[in-house]
Amino acid sequence: MNSYLTYIKTQLRLTMRDRTVLVFTYLFPLLFFFIFAQTMGGGKGAMIIQVVNMVLVIGVLGGGFFGGGMRATMEREANILRRFKVAPITPMPIIVSSLVSGLVNFLPVAVLVISIAHFRYGMPWPEKWLSLSVFLIVGSFSFRALGMMIASVANSMQESQVIIQLLYFPMLFLSGATFPLSIMPVWLQIVAQFLPSTHLYEGMQLILLKQEGLLDNMSKLAALLATTAVGMFVSFTLFRWEKEEKIKNSAKAWIMVVMLPFVAMGAYEGYTRDSIAKQKSVDRDLRRNHTRLIKDARVFVGDGTVIERASVLLKNGKIEDIFLGDAPPAKSLNADEEEGAGKTLLPGLIDVHVHLSAPGGYTDKPEFYDPLKNVPRRLAAYLFTGVTAVRSAGDSIDLMQKQSKLLGSGEQLGTELFYLGPMFTAEGGHGTEYFKMLPEQMRQQAMAQTVRTPKTAAEAGEQVAALKPLGVDGIKAILESGGGSMTFNRLDTGVYKAIVAAAKAQGLPVSTHTGDLRDINDSIEAGTTSIEHGTTRQEIPAEVFARMKAGGIYYDPTLTVYEAVAESAAGKTDLLDRSLVMQAGPAALIQSSKQWIQSGKLGDMSAHSAAITEQFTTAKHNLLAAYQAGVTLVTGSDAGNSTVSHGPTVHREVELWVDAGVPNIAALVGATGNAAKLLGAGNRIGLVKKGYEATLLLVDGDPTKDIGAIERISRVFLKGEGIDRSEIFDDYNKK
Amino acid sequence: METAIAVVDLHKNYGDVKAVRGIDFEVQEGEVFGLLGPNGAGKTTTVEIMEGLRPRTSGQVNVLGFDPDIQSRQLKDRIGICLQATNLPDKIKVIEALQMFAAFYTRSTDCVKLLERLQLGEKRNSFYSTLSGGQKQRVALALALVNEPKLVFLDEPTTGLDPQVRLEIHSLIQELKDAKRTLVLTTHYIEEAERLCDRVAIVDQGKIIAQGTPRELQERILGQSKIEVDTVEPIPPEGIPQFPFAEKSVISEDRKSVIIHSPSPAKTLVEVVKWVDQSGLGLEDIHLKRPTLEDVFIELTGKKLRD
Repeated sequence: MNSYLTYIKTQLRLTMRDRTVLVFTYLFPLLFFFIFAQTMGGGKGAMIIQVVNMVLVIGVLGGGFFGGGMRATMEREANILRRFKVAPITPMPIIVSSLVSGLVNFLPVAVLVISIAHFRYGMPWPEKWLSLSVFLIVGSFSFRALGMMIASVANSMQESQVIIQLLYFPMLFLSGATFPLSIMPVWLQIVAQFLPSTHLYEGMQLILLKQEGLLDNMSKLAALLATTAVGMFVSFTLFRWEKEEKIKNSAKAWIMVVMLPFVAMGAYEGYTRDSIAKQKSVDRDLRRNHTRLIKDARVFVGDGTVIERASVLLKNGKIEDIFLGDAPPAKSLNADEEEGAGKTLLPGLIDVHVHLSAPGGYTDKPEFYDPLKNVPRRLAAYLFTGVTAVRSAGDSIDLMQKQSKLLGSGEQLGTELFYLGPMFTAEGGHGTEYFKMLPEQMRQQAMAQTVRTPKTAAEAGEQVAALKPLGVDGIKAILESGGGSMTFNRLDTGVYKAIVAAAKAQGLPVSTHTGDLRDINDSIEAGTTSIEHGTTRQEIPAEVFARMKAGGIYYDPTLTVYEAVAESAAGKTDLLDRSLVMQAGPAALIQSSKQWIQSGKLGDMSAHSAAITEQFTTAKHNLLAAYQAGVTLVTGSDAGNSTVSHGPTVHREVELWVDAGVPNIAALVGATGNAAKLLGAGNRIGLVKKGYEATLLLVDGDPTKDIGAIERISRVFLKGEGIDRSEIFDDYNKK
Repeated sequence: METAIAVVDLHKNYGDVKAVRGIDFEVQEGEVFGLLGPNGAGKTTTVEIMEGLRPRTSGQVNVLGFDPDIQSRQLKDRIGICLQATNLPDKIKVIEALQMFAAFYTRSTDCVKLLERLQLGEKRNSFYSTLSGGQKQRVALALALVNEPKLVFLDEPTTGLDPQVRLEIHSLIQELKDAKRTLVLTTHYIEEAERLCDRVAIVDQGKIIAQGTPRELQERILGQSKIEVDTVEPIPPEGIPQFPFAEKSVISEDRKSVIIHSPSPAKTLVEVVKWVDQSGLGLEDIHLKRPTLEDVFIELTGKKLRD
C-alpha cells in the first residue's frame, strides 16, 4: 500500500513539474473550450453543454492515450522503468498510479471547464453531478487502462505512436465529440457504437443534457468498467520493464480483447439501434436549447392581443423574455438574431381534428394507405406548414402511442401529437363502415385499434377506463347517425352519457362527433367538452349556442372538410393548386386527387353537388352564429378526408372562418390559444408568453389584417428548434 | 564465514542460443566477488539470474538462502542492485527518488544520511537531469543501498565514466567492502577487478574458465613475471648466463636490453643484478613486471577483454 501511495505521489509531483503535461492537460482543453464556446455559439443555450462535453471527452481521450500510453512507453524507452524492475514491486503500483494520477490531473480540468461554462456561459450546474462524476472517473480510468495496455504491447515509441493515432483519431471523430453522430451515414453510426469513446460521449451527453442517471447508462458504465479491468489485467500480464524485452507482434491482438465489451455493445446496437435513436433525441434537445432573439416582429399573442412591435427571446426551448419596443442587442443576450421586421409571430397553429391514417386525397394507390409509412411524413408535413400540434380523432391506438413517443423524445421530427383513443360508436355506427370490406380477422384487429362499441353503460365505463393508461388525450364519441341515403346506427344516449361521465371521471376531455341538432342537444346535455362538426343540415338556433357557451363547450366547425367536399363535388381543383398545399405534397397524391375530381370518378357526389354546397353554406352560417353567441371556437380540419391533405389545414380553416364573417383575430385565437386549452395544454402552448414553450410560427405580413398572410411562412419553431423546413421531407423522399 | 551465494551447474538458454553453459561458483559473506569477461560472455545473464530478474533454464542457485526463481520478491527486498544504464525521470529530485524507492522495501535506511555518505548531500534537492554523470552513478549506487542490503550487485559500475569519477566510485566501493558487505561486481576493467575484488571468476562463452584470487590467477600462468634489464653497454655476443629459475630470455636488437622470464622473479633478480654489476655493462634501468589479469585473460581466452 505504501509503495502505491508513494509512487502515486511521486507521479503527481512529476506531472506538475512537467510543462508539456501541463500544456496538454490544462491549457489545451481550456483553449479548445474557449474556441469551441466562441465559435459554436456556446453561449446560445445548450450548445455550451455540448462544448463542455466535447472538451471533457477530448481530455479523457488525450489523458488516456498520451498521458497514459505514450508516457509509459517513453519511461520504458528511457530506461526509467528498468530501475523499478529491481525493486521488490509488481507492475501493479505503476499501472494503478497511472490510472489515479490521470484522474487527479483531469478532475480539476473538468471542474474548471464546468465552472467556466456555468459562470461565463450560463450553463446550469449539472443536475446529476454524482452520476456525471462517477461516469467521468470510470471513463478516465478506462482510457488510462487502454493507454497502459497499448504501452504494454508496443515495442517502441514509434509503434506506440502508430497504435495511438490509429485508435485516438477514429475514437475522437466518431465519438460524436467533434461531429454530431447523427449527421453521419447509418453504417458509420453503427461502427461508432463499437468504440468506447462513443459510449463515453453519449453517456455524458445523456447525463448532462437529459438529466439521466447512472442506472439509465448501466450498459455503458459496465462496458467502460470492463475495459478498465481488462486493460489493467492485460497490461499487468504483458508488462515489460526494459526496452530490450520485445513482445511478439501477435500480442497486439490484446487490443481487440480490450475492445470486446464494446464489440458486444456495438453488435447489440447494430441490432437495436437504441443508442442511435437516443443520439437523435439528444441532438434534437441541443437544437431545441438554442438561444435566439426574434427581433422587431408584430406579435400575435394567441389570446387576442396584438403587440405591434416586440422582440422575443427563445432560450432552452422556452420563451425566455418578450421585449416591448426596443430590445437589447442579440449579442448582449448571447443569442442568434432572427429578423422579424415586417413579419408576424404567432403561437404555432393547432388542428384539433385530423385522421392521420387517411390519405387526404382521392387515390386508390395502396402506398397511401399504409399508416406506418405515411403517418410520420404527415406529421412532418404539419410541422412544415407551422401546424405545431394536431389531435388525432381516430387512428390506430398503437400507432399513435408509438408516434407520440418518438415525437416526444425528439427522435422523430414532426408536429406535437395529441390523440383521442378509439372512437366510441354504436355497432354498425358511423366509424365502423370503413372496416366492412376487410376480411374478418383483419377487421377484428382494425376495429380493436380504432373503435369501441359498448352495449351497456357499464361496458362503456370499463372501456374508457382501459384507455386512460394508454396515454390518450381524450375520448371521442360519435352520435351522428347519417342522413339521406347514408344512415348509421346511433349510439344509445344512455351509453353515450356513461362514456362522457366515465371520461370526465378519468380527467379526459370528450370530443363528440355530431350530425344533427339532436346530437348537439344530447351532447350539450351530457356535458361534452367539444362538439365536432356541429350540423350542416340545418341552422343551429342561437339558444343552443347559448347553452354551449354556458357549458363552456368548444365548437370545432371543420369548415375545411366541407369546403373540400363541396369543391370536389363541383369538379373544382383550385384548392389543390394553393402553393402551401403543393409544397407540403405529396405531389403524387395531389395529382391523383385532381385526376379523380376532373374525370368524374367521384360518382354520385357530383350529382349532389348543389346540396353539398348548400350544406357548406349552412356550416359557415352556423359558425358565425356560434361566434356571435360567444361560443369558444377551435380549429379542426378533419384532414385525411376528401382532399384535405395533411399539412396546411388550419390555414385554410381560418381563411374560411374569416370568409364566414369571423374577425381575423378571433379566428387566429381559435387556431392557437383556444385550441391549446381544448388540448389541455393551455398552460404551455398556444400563447406567445414568457415561460411558454417556444413553439411559434413566423409569417410574412400581417394575418390579423390579411388572413392569407398565414400561408406565407417564414419560420417555424418547435420547442425552440428552428425547423429546417427545406430538409424536413428528405428522409421520406428517399424511400 | 557463511555462503552468501551458491551457484551449481547453471544453464540458461535463449531459444537455441546457450548463453550460460554450466557455471559453478560460491561467494562468501563479506567477500567481493568479481565476474570478469567480454561483452556477451554471459556475465550479465548470470547476475540477473542471481538477482531474480531472469529465470534459469537449469541448475541450482541460492542467494541469501532464497531461490531467486521462486522467491524473487523476498530476495529483491534484501539485496541492492546497481544497474548499468538506468535512468530516473528528469524532474525528480534526488531525495524524492531515494524516498520513493525506500518505500518499496520492508527495511530502509536514512536517505539523508545515505546521501551525505555518498557526497550527494548538497545535491539532494536537485533535479536528476541537472546531475553530472558521476553524480548520477552515485545516485544509482545510493538507490542500491536504500534498503541497507547485505548483498549488493554492481553491474559495470564505472563503465563510461571518466577516470576521475571512476576513482571516486572505486573508493565508495572500497568503503562498502570495509563495511563488510558482500559485493558481486561485474566489470570488464581489469584494474578494477584487481584492485577491488577478493576473488574473480573469468567468464567466456557461458563458462567460467578460471577463478581464484587475482594473485592465484596470475600465478596460474607459468613464469609470467618478467625482469626487464636495460644496460649502458651492449650485451656481448656470447649472451647471458643461465640464471636460477629463469626459463627463457630475449635480447633486443640493439643488445642493450634483455627480458628474462621467471616463475620466481625475486630469486632470479638478485643474480641478474649481480651479473650486470660484475660484467661491467652498466645498469641503465631494471623493472619487474608481474602478469596482469589482462594477461591472464589473453592467455586463457586468446582474446582481449575489450574488443
